[in-house]
Amino acid sequence: MTVFYIRRLFQMALVLLISAIATYTLLNFAPGGPLAGLRQIQQTGRFQITEDDIARIRAYFELDLYLPYRFMRWFVGWPTGPVEIGGREYFSDVVVGCRKPVETEVLNDDGEYEIQVTGCNELVYMKDLTGRRVSRGIIRGDFGLSWRLLRDRPVSELIISRLPKTIQLIGLSTLLSLFIGIPLGIYSAVKQYSRFDYIFTSLAFMGSAMPTFFFGIVMILLFSLIPKEAGWLYVPAGLSESVRGYTIPLLGEVAAGSVKDRILHLILPVAVLTIVNISYYSRFVRGSMLEVMRQDYIRTARAKGLLERVVIMKHALRNALIPFITIVVFTLPGLFSGAIITESIFAWPGMGRLYLLALGDYDYPVAMAIFFIIAVLTVIATLLRDVLYTIVDPRIRLS
Amino acid sequence: MLRKRLLALLGLLVIASMTLVACGGTDVPAAPSVETVEVIVTEVVEVEREAFTTPHPILSDLKVRQALAYCTNKSDLLKSVYPLISDEARAGLVMDTFIPKSHWAYAGDENVTIYSYDPDKGRALLDEAGWTLAEGADFRTNADGDELSLKFTTTSATFRQTWAAIWEQQMAECGIRIVRLHAPASWWFGDTTGIARRDYELGAFAWVGQADPGGQTLYACDQIPFPTNGWEGQNAMGWCNEAASTNIKLANNTLVQDERIAAYTVVQQEFTKDVPSIPLFNRTETFATAADLTGFAPTPGQEYYNYNVQEWARPGQDTIILGFTQEPASLFTLVEDAFVANIAYQIVRPAQEWHLNYEFTNSPITKELPTLENGGTTNNDVEVSEGTKVVDVNGDVVELAPGVTVKNAAGEEVEFTGGTVTMKQLVSRFEIADGVTWEDGTPVSSADLELGYKIACDPESGATSFITCDKTANVEFLTDAVGYIQTWVPGVQDPLYFVPVWPIYPNHQLGDVPAAEWATNPLVAETPLSYGPYKLVEWVKGEKMVFAANEHWVGGAPATPNFVIQFVTPESAESLLLGGEVDILASESLAGLTQALVDAEAAGAIKTYTEAGGTWEHIDIQLFIR
Repeated sequence: MTVFYIRRLFQMALVLLISAIATYTLLNFAPGGPLAGLRQIQQTGRFQITEDDIARIRAYFELDLYLPYRFMRWFVGWPTGPVEIGGREYFSDVVVGCRKPVETEVLNDDGEYEIQVTGCNELVYMKDLTGRRVSRGIIRGDFGLSWRLLRDRPVSELIISRLPKTIQLIGLSTLLSLFIGIPLGIYSAVKQYSRFDYIFTSLAFMGSAMPTFFFGIVMILLFSLIPKEAGWLYVPAGLSESVRGYTIPLLGEVAAGSVKDRILHLILPVAVLTIVNISYYSRFVRGSMLEVMRQDYIRTARAKGLLERVVIMKHALRNALIPFITIVVFTLPGLFSGAIITESIFAWPGMGRLYLLALGDYDYPVAMAIFFIIAVLTVIATLLRDVLYTIVDPRIRLS
Repeated sequence: MLRKRLLALLGLLVIASMTLVACGGTDVPAAPSVETVEVIVTEVVEVEREAFTTPHPILSDLKVRQALAYCTNKSDLLKSVYPLISDEARAGLVMDTFIPKSHWAYAGDENVTIYSYDPDKGRALLDEAGWTLAEGADFRTNADGDELSLKFTTTSATFRQTWAAIWEQQMAECGIRIVRLHAPASWWFGDTTGIARRDYELGAFAWVGQADPGGQTLYACDQIPFPTNGWEGQNAMGWCNEAASTNIKLANNTLVQDERIAAYTVVQQEFTKDVPSIPLFNRTETFATAADLTGFAPTPGQEYYNYNVQEWARPGQDTIILGFTQEPASLFTLVEDAFVANIAYQIVRPAQEWHLNYEFTNSPITKELPTLENGGTTNNDVEVSEGTKVVDVNGDVVELAPGVTVKNAAGEEVEFTGGTVTMKQLVSRFEIADGVTWEDGTPVSSADLELGYKIACDPESGATSFITCDKTANVEFLTDAVGYIQTWVPGVQDPLYFVPVWPIYPNHQLGDVPAAEWATNPLVAETPLSYGPYKLVEWVKGEKMVFAANEHWVGGAPATPNFVIQFVTPESAESLLLGGEVDILASESLAGLTQALVDAEAAGAIKTYTEAGGTWEHIDIQLFIR
């Protein structure tokens, strides 16, 4: 068992390293970044971008460093300058980047002219890194500074500001989905081909097939805008709380920011996510239950004269839920990553929206931090799933 | 096994130590390390020719460019993207030159070539150019049998996809095949990709029109980006017309309004004659507000529609809520110049000048703008000698030395050979209005302006451009009033000389904070002290910015005591307005006028405003190939 955990930890570290390198490289090769659009601002007597300005801005965001050094500084917060041993400096003159690349038109193998970086007018050396701002490294929990969304301030500050709302939304909808979805799935499986089963299965298919985007808009119309206009009971169309008080028929005055206000704002986004999840969870449980109910040990349990309730709850459900563990543990990264579409439709200030904004605004430090944390939570969830399997199914041994 | 591993580890350590020794350690310097920059002479790859000097085989022909213009039905393009606005409003959006028709610098219809939609004329021009349509063929070919096919590049925004599809059809009707490429904005507007590298044949994007038309970097001959000049300049079309180039420089370097108008007229004449670009239309700016909101008055030319935020009110409401689809990254606008950041910043620190209807006026926090006419500015003759910092004829700040060409006080271009030369030097006196006070009760002082100057010109602050600092010869801060006397470097003849130069920062609060720390300082980036109508009380990240009336505001109490910027998403914006969660959605948060908004306005629930915005769409034509 101990060997398994040690091996697993190494595997997890390796997976994280590879995913970090891959995502960092991909994002860094993507066009955009802090300089995007700068040349699209018309230059005037009061605003001019020169080659020196470009070089300065590139250096400010470390874009003048070669990718491996940039990655290392982001990942482990090193190198920060020459290595100092015994009062002497080493690697001072190692070239780590280029401040002003030379671009030249060259003839490529296809006989076409293309512009390539062919040299460098100002190199950056290891000794130039001394005194430059640098994070302590993402593996030490320092995600660096935001490029765009919270310019020059810690990425962690952004994440912390959004995380509670996402946990609130995803946590609540996941719990509700589990509490409603599992019994529905069991009941549908036990009553296979009954009228309930047909209706439930049809609704579940509809729920899982309907795009969240469309579903959310329909919900806003049906439960917010139309009833409000008609003077009926309604729920707010979006946001996590109101800025000023309002009155809802039957419910009366609602103070801005009150518990009542917050609960009312949770209803629509939670409902959308819950309904979509229920259709997924319940169909999974139903399928799994049907599989288990055909097993010999269920027949044996019934032959022993056990009550049907005991057969279902004790013998069938426990075995049917084993594959369900995979689904449940992988809600862990979901708690962090949020629900991009639902958060957008309801203007919910969560992680999903932050992630979308980070990619749209080329705020790669924020996007990378989210990627990395999701990767960490995914590998943790994988480990958790393996451990949980051994608990719920004694036949499984980790070795 | 263990022994083997230990030996391997030891081996690695030995190799590492040898490497260190081989690298030759140097003594740690006693003084802090200083960033050094070494100029490396690199091998330059031989190229057979300078890039972008070969005329484009199709588009260098004026007749083809004129045909493209005649075959373009701008009204239909507008209809495709703004189907809900009236025909009259649509007609007012059509652009014929690079300056909107309502602008003071517009040449007038009679002074420019207007390419009204006339496909027959377009087809005739193409025939003349040798591009004929064979019987039964859809697209034209030349004598060599080459098809008239052009690559059209723009962004993948829905707005551009919509009108580009219509334009493609319009061109097809004239026998021109358009191959559309909708690239990501990050590539199209990238620093080293797309437009910046002239990587297009026909390219569509927008420029933001301003109260001052500028244009020197867009249309002057010496502003064409090449690999050899580090891609500097914004004339990516490669258009070089001597008359236009001379006049666009004149328009941007003379202080006399009439001279400017005359120069812009010449540029527009040449521009429409040569057709290096096809101006299409002004984008609209749509605003939607609660039906009972008063005081909201967006005005053409005034970039920040909340310039009069203190006048906004709703009966019975003590809070006005503005919906924003984008959250400001920082309120340190020296480094963060996004539109939303400026809108939020204006609430606490109003601009020093307004641009209502494209005219410059002072805002409530400044005294009259210093012009030559009112005596606030003087344009003095000064004698300069070798070593003096001046602006040369190219607009570059240089030290005067033999060989440098400058404009003398008589307006003649002279090459400096030694001795002295008399040049013009602008000196302006800017003053802040009486009674402007910070929210903590401290009066705004000249020291606050001095701090603004210090930070704006400190490279450590993270500011993007320092050209204004480079062009400043001296700033004298007033002791008898709140303000400063700005002396420009000899040769600076900026037509916007009367626009206030330096920001106002609270010296009593931030005077000791080093420039390098400003971008990360919450007092700068998140809760800037206010001298405006409202003060920022709370910024809940991702949710809202809460403002309360500033009792020290020089203009008196705002009409509504509280103001909130609520962050919404583009997907939720309209439903939140209709649901009463926000009172105002401005152009940056609305995709345009939608049927839902039109219906809601008809039902009396909201009020909409549609105006010609400063931003204008155009198709640039690449006149040269690599």
